[in-house]
This record gives sequence, structure tokens and C-alpha cells, in this order.
Amino acid sequence: MSEYSAIVLAAGEGTRLRPLTQNRPKPMLPAATKPILEHVFDQLIDAGISKFVVVVGYRCDRVQSYFGSTYRNVPITYVTQKKQLGTGHAVLAAESEVDDTCLVINGDQIVDSRIVADTIARHDSAAAATIALLQRPNVEPYGGVRIGEDDVATEIVENPRDGYGYYLNAGVYMLEPAAFDAVRSAEPSFGEHHLFEGLSKLIDSGETVRGTVSEGLWVDATYPWDLLDVSFELFDRGVVTSSPVISGRETTVHDEAIIRDPIILDQDCAIGPDAVVGPYVCLGENTTVGANAVLERSVVDDDTTIGANATVVDCVTGTGVEIGPGSTIPGGPGDVRVGDTVYEDEALGAVLADRVTDRGGVTYVPGALVGPETEIQSGATIRGTLAGGTEVRS
Amino acid sequence: MCGIIGYAGAQADRPVLEVLSNGLSRLEYRGYDSAGIAVAPEMSVYKRKGDLDVLEEQLPDAPVGALAGIGHTRWSTHGPPSDENAHPHTDCEDGVAVVHNGIIENYRELRDDLEAAGHEFDSETDTEVVPHLIEAALEQGADADSAFRQAIGRLEGSYAVAAVFRGREEVYATRRQSPLVLGVDDGCALLASDVPAFLEYTDEVVYLEDGQFATIRPSGIEVRDQRGALVDVSVETVDWDPEDAGKSGYDHYMRKEIYEQPRALRECLRGRPQPFEEAISIEELEELPRPTEVQFVACGTSYHASLYATRLFREHGVRATAFLASEYDIETVPVDEGTLVVGVTQSGETADTLRALRTANGVGARTLAVTNVVGSSAARETDHTMYIRAGPEIGVAATKTFVSQQVALAMLSSALTGDCSREFVESLRALPDQIQSILDGSRAEEIAEEYVHADAYFFIGRGYATPVALEGALKMKEITYRHAEGFAAGELKHGPLALVTERTPVFALVTGDSNTERMLGNVKEVEARGAPVVAVTDDPGLIEAHAEHVLRVPETHWRFFPILANVQLQLLAYWVAHRLGRSIDKPRNLAKSVTVE
Repeated sequence: MSEYSAIVLAAGEGTRLRPLTQNRPKPMLPAATKPILEHVFDQLIDAGISKFVVVVGYRCDRVQSYFGSTYRNVPITYVTQKKQLGTGHAVLAAESEVDDTCLVINGDQIVDSRIVADTIARHDSAAAATIALLQRPNVEPYGGVRIGEDDVATEIVENPRDGYGYYLNAGVYMLEPAAFDAVRSAEPSFGEHHLFEGLSKLIDSGETVRGTVSEGLWVDATYPWDLLDVSFELFDRGVVTSSPVISGRETTVHDEAIIRDPIILDQDCAIGPDAVVGPYVCLGENTTVGANAVLERSVVDDDTTIGANATVVDCVTGTGVEIGPGSTIPGGPGDVRVGDTVYEDEALGAVLADRVTDRGGVTYVPGALVGPETEIQSGATIRGTLAGGTEVRS
Repeated sequence: MCGIIGYAGAQADRPVLEVLSNGLSRLEYRGYDSAGIAVAPEMSVYKRKGDLDVLEEQLPDAPVGALAGIGHTRWSTHGPPSDENAHPHTDCEDGVAVVHNGIIENYRELRDDLEAAGHEFDSETDTEVVPHLIEAALEQGADADSAFRQAIGRLEGSYAVAAVFRGREEVYATRRQSPLVLGVDDGCALLASDVPAFLEYTDEVVYLEDGQFATIRPSGIEVRDQRGALVDVSVETVDWDPEDAGKSGYDHYMRKEIYEQPRALRECLRGRPQPFEEAISIEELEELPRPTEVQFVACGTSYHASLYATRLFREHGVRATAFLASEYDIETVPVDEGTLVVGVTQSGETADTLRALRTANGVGARTLAVTNVVGSSAARETDHTMYIRAGPEIGVAATKTFVSQQVALAMLSSALTGDCSREFVESLRALPDQIQSILDGSRAEEIAEEYVHADAYFFIGRGYATPVALEGALKMKEITYRHAEGFAAGELKHGPLALVTERTPVFALVTGDSNTERMLGNVKEVEARGAPVVAVTDDPGLIEAHAEHVLRVPETHWRFFPILANVQLQLLAYWVAHRLGRSIDKPRNLAKSVTVE
């Protein structure tokens, strides 16, 4: 058991996950039936971390009211980063709460405890920092690190274009005080302090930054539909186990309902007669699935109601969503528009943000993205991206 | 109304002073005008008027070599806050020190007797008779244990008492009608007025019954009955998470508890609404028959929840009345075998409510406690108990427990009468997320900012919303120290309208039920007097033209509108108090759980 504290970065919104992040930061979005951050905490505890210092900012109430002052007996200290001025800035905000050597981890990506434990084991104070690395075919969307002899890092970059030869930066670091100093003294770029820039500076100044290549689960959701794959991977890797019916205390599954594994149900769910639920379905707390509804390959967040005879496939919902009776989300593939970019043929039925209400008989063209609090009258057809708070008539 | 703590354990494990002062900080909500600590076997007493920080400055930094100790945080009932009146109290020779929660009714006679026998008193408290009674018994040759028992035998009234003796490494304690719970752990033992005081050290507890005596030693606890026979006690494990005693990064417990409401409500609802059977089932009340009449007894915020519940019961066809517990008088209230007397008390220790419940028990009425605290006096002394499951609440101003009380009582009214509908069940299950949506988007902070310097705040509602108008005003009074009143809107024109000016904002609870038209009439009355109107509503269309501001809540079953509207009023009071720099979690002169009548 290590006695290290972990600085967990949970202040950023995760703007590419809009509209799901309207009311909460990315670390609080669901992976299976728990927030991503809760999985991060679980893995950290498995790796022996004994204290969490959580940097919060965007919609911090959501993090604080969910976890409180301890998680599984590990004390949590909150540090508020009022403006999200980069990961380096966030780490500096938490500096006074940790001892000399500490772990730093992103709170919005699920990382295997093995990767964390490997990083702790590889680190010694001869290095100013140790970075967890993974061998992945596509590093470009993330951070990349090159290493040389004795695993010493030679280059740290974001979004390496010439992906060749880079390891993926898993977002897990062991840092010595010298690393904090380097982050502090690094020139901000566009007003933001980034951790990778501070570490680059360390390398430039001749300090040792080590990379340690590890393996294990590492999942990240960049876009809303990625939440489906993140949850499904948790099933496939056995991180969440499918044990329907008994999994949530007080959950009611009608005798005539059909359950197809894998599925996971949280507490107070209710599944009506002749509903067909699964495979690959995650039902958050207090969700209701009406009679004869069909639900497949979907992540349904807390307090959502799926009406009788509705069909819901490849769907991500926020909290308090109401899918009306007889509504149809037939599933992907579909083209999804985010800003000016169109992502073609994504396996997405629909993303319905918090408290979208449809009155029934609504058809969703694959790839639909509906903003929070939108009300859809019965019989409407929804396609493309809808802003929040709108009213859609049929 | 006070809090007590006791500890016996080896210094090497945990410094006695540290355990006691940590415990007192967890009990501060029970009172905080003075505090003190006494430790043995070498008797030292530290006590001060003021809050715990003042006492802590006086405590020695070095270990004191103590093995046993007692502590007390006080809320004055006899004698003003002062160093002398702070507990622990000692006898003439400082051979015994005592802390006490409750009221000793015959202290005047006892004190006269003791003074006649030459005992000298330092304080004006009722408690000080106890150490002198013990001293008198010791002088007669009694040992510590029997001296303690003899002294307690002389007392009339309510008490939880703990004592330490010079030269002894244990704490003696007993209770009658005031709460006292014991904690056990390897190599130490604890006692306190309630569990959170020592939850960081142990979750294994024993609830002491009325009239039992306990001795706690580093080696464990010993419980005996009134005649001195050993009692075989059952040790229970408390499943509260000690996290709940922390502020989790919030400035105030009140704010934390407001934001915890969706979660608290989920716990309250857990397993109770039956979505496919259109029924409410309350497991712990399955044996409770349908009453012909319901009488609620409660105080403060719990009384407002009770008022709300009476309307629900009446609508379900059962006669129901809410009484202020301190005014509940069985000579004037008829009770028969069909009457159910429901005590609504967050802590389960509210003295006025307990007295009313005991009165009801005494005349043979069936009694039910609706409470948040498992094992509390109300839970143990009534025929039935329903838990609201809100989790510990530390802020003195009740927030999440009020919302849980409202919802618990709404479920109770349906479960006992069998009157339910699909809409009722679905609307209940929607409440946690609807409250979350209010928390996500409330404009209460900016509205509070605008009216922070108002002369007074008025809250009006009709029907189901009236109790929440009263509660909104109570919350505002409690934490801002500003004048606030709640009225049934129809009553305005019968008097209170004379108070309304352009410097008194009126908060109107307006919902889309049959009262809306009349409510609009009331709003126009205050509008005509120039008062700014802030509407709390689920249907702004009707009221917008007459209101300066609108605080929106989601549409719900009209019976539940006040549950949602209340959240906006909590936030409003919080932000006004915040702007005024008030002591939000510990308002002046108030304590969380009022254990005196």
C-alpha cells in the first residue's frame, strides 16, 4: 500500500461532449451506471492511493454533492480552480494539499489500476517526473511521448501529427517538487498552463522525465456517442459485471420482461411487462422502462423514463429524460453534426441531453443530438442537432 | 439543550483531550454558548464561555496523562452563558466533575439542602447540585459507583449525566429522557449525546435505555439496571458514513445539504413507490391500520411539514390536524382507538414532541414517529416508526430533512389510505431530478442580491403552498436575522397588508391549480401597494405580468408544487444570509435539536 496522494483533475467541462455537459463536468458523465470519476477513484484505490485531492471548477457542485468528504474511506479534499486555465494551472492549485511526491491523474478518463501501480513502482526521486505510457495505434487525438534509453522521455507533445513512434500519454504522472516548479515557470500558451509544457521544459533543462510503458484498460470519451463504447468496454473487460435483476436493491423487473445479458441496473429501476432489455444496456438509478419497450445498446442515465412500446437502440440519455410511448430510436449508423464537422456513419441512434421530453410517437433519425430541456410534441420527426430549451412541434 | 461526550482509553492510543474536543466540535450544533472538559485520574477542568475555539486555546498542548474524561457544549437554560455556568461542574473539593444535558426540576430544593449542609456553589446552574450530592454521599462512606447512584436517585426531571472522579480511570453515566449512546472499540470506550460525536472512532454502539447506568473504562463498557444487576446489552453497528460530518468543499453545511437533496430524496423514496402497481408501500408500517383520524405533533420546520400532510390526509378522506407539540394538551384533544398520533421530528429528540408523544401514549393512542435518526428516543418510544432517510443534517436550518419529511408524509398519506394513482407515483419518482434541475438553474442568488436590504420579507401561498410560505419565512428569519413572515394569501387583506410597502418584497407561490385565479388577486393587492413581487411558479404565463422576477420550478403534480417551490426559497434565504455575512450553519440563539421543553 503506497502512501501517495493523488491530484485528480476534474475541473474541465469537456466541451466536445456537449450537450451532455450542460449541467455537469465530463468526469460526472456516466460510464455504465456510475460517473467516470467514480471508476477513476476505484482504480486509484486498487492501486493503493490513500488520499484524493480533487481539482474542481465547472459545475463543481455536482462533484462535491455526489462524493462528499470521503470515498470508500479515502478522504477527499476539494480545490477549486475558478477559471480552467489548463492542466498545469490545475495541478498548481492543488500543490499545497499534497506532500512532496504525488500522483496526478485525469479525472475524465478511466485508467486501469495496473497502469497507476506501474507508474508508482517505476518512479524514483532520481526522476523529476514519471509518465504512464501505452502502446496504441492511434495516438494523434491525445498526447504523445517519445522515449529513449532507460525509458527517459525525449519529447512530450499534444496531438502528434506524425503519430509514428509516439506512445500514448495515459494522463497518469508521478511528480516531484521540481516538476511543479517547472510547470510554474513555463510560459503560458494562450493564457493557459499545460502540464505537458511544464514537463517539456523539464526535459529541456536536463532533468530526467521517465516514461513507463504499461498496459491495461484505458478509455476516453471524446464525443457523446463514445459513452456507449466506454460502457460496453467496461462490460467486455469485466470491470462492470452483468448481474441483472439482483444488481440494484429495490429494483423491479416484471416477470414477463425479457432480459438479455449483458445489462446493468442501478437501484430503483422498474422494467415493465414484455419489455425486452439488452444486450449492452446500462440503466441508471430510478429509471423506468414501460411495457413492451425494446431497449438495446444504450446508456440511460438516472431518472429517465422510457414509455411503453418505445424502441431505443444505440442511445445515450442524460438524466430525467422522457422518451414517450411508441417513440422510435432505431439506431445507427448515422451522420452526426458537431459544429461545422460531420462525423459520418457513427453507430449512434440519438443523444438526448438532460430532461429532454418527448410526448410519444416521435421518430429519431440516426445521429440526432438533442439539447437539454427540449420538448418534442407527439408525432414529430427529429433529425440533426437541436439546441437546448427548444419546443418541437410535429 | 446541550451535548455531552465521555471517553476512557489509554493515552498512548489517543490523547483524551483530542478525542473530547473533536467530539465536542461534532456536537456543537446542540448548543455553543460555552464549553468545557474535565479529565481524570488527576482532576483537571477546563471551561469557557464562548465557542469551542475559545476553549481550545485554554487546553494544554502537552499530553495530560489522563485516562478518562468528559466534555460538554452548552446552550443556556439556567443561568446566562459564563465561565462559571459552563460545564463540567465540580464539588467543593474538585474531587468529582459532572456534565449534564436536560433539566433537573427539583434543583432548588436540593441546592437549599446542600447549602444548609455547608456546600458552596459557584454557578447558577441546576447541574451543580449533582457533584455536591455525589460529594455528600462519598462523605457518608459510599464508593464512587454507589455515590453516583445515590445522587442520581435524588434527581427529578430529565437528564443525561456523566461524571469523572479524582483518582479513578473511568466515567460513570446514566440517562432519563435525554439521549445518551455508548461507543465501544478496542482499548477504549466512549459515550455521547449522539452518534456523530464519536463516529470517527467507532461505529459499534449501544443505546442506553432510560434508568440504566453505564461505566466506561479503557477495557470496555458495563451497563447495569436501576437495581445494579448487569444488563446484557446488544451492540449495534451504525452504517452512517463519517463523510457526512464533513463539509465536502462547501462554504456551509446548509449549502451542502441543499445540494444533497436529490440524493436524500432518492433514499427517502427507495423501494416505496410501486410503479407498476400504482401503490405506495412502506415496509416498516405494514402492520399499521387505516386511522380514522390523524393528529400530528411537531415543532418548527417539522410542524410546517405536518401542516402540509394534514391537507393530504384530508383530501384522502381522513380527518387530520397538526398541533404545535408544545401546545398539545390531551385534556383538550379527544383521542380514541382510531386516532393515530404522528410525531414529526428530525432528530427524534425534540423535547416538546417527545412530551406530546408520551402524553398520547399515556392515553392509549396509537403513536407513530416520522424521524431521521435510527434509535432516537422518538423511534423507541412510539408504536411505529417511519424513517425519512435523509442522512445526517448538521446545519441548524433544516433543509434536506424538510423535503424528505414532506415526501415521506405524502407517501404515508397514500399508504395509509390506499389512495394512489399512476400520476402520483410517477410524479414522486420524478422529484429528485426536478430538484436537481432547480439547483442547476436557480436565479435565487441574483434575486437575493437585489433584495438584501429590504425592510422585511413576506411569503404568501394558498392551499398546499401555505405551509411552504410559512417555512420560507422561517428559513429567512433563522439565518438572516431579518424580519420575515409567511401568510395564507387570503389572510393578507385581513391585516398583514398594512405591513406591505415598496420596501417589502413579497414572494408569491403560484401554481396552476384551482387557486390560481384567487392567488393572482392577492398578488395584485400587493402590487397595488408598490411591493415588488417575486413569483415562484411552475407556470410563468399567468403571473409574469405582475411580478418583478420569476423563480421557476418544473411542472409537477399540483400537490408536489410546494416541495419544489421550497427549494427556491431555501436558496433565496441562503444567499441573503451569505450576502449579510451571517453565521449560516449556527445562527445566534438557535440549536439544531431542541432537547428542552
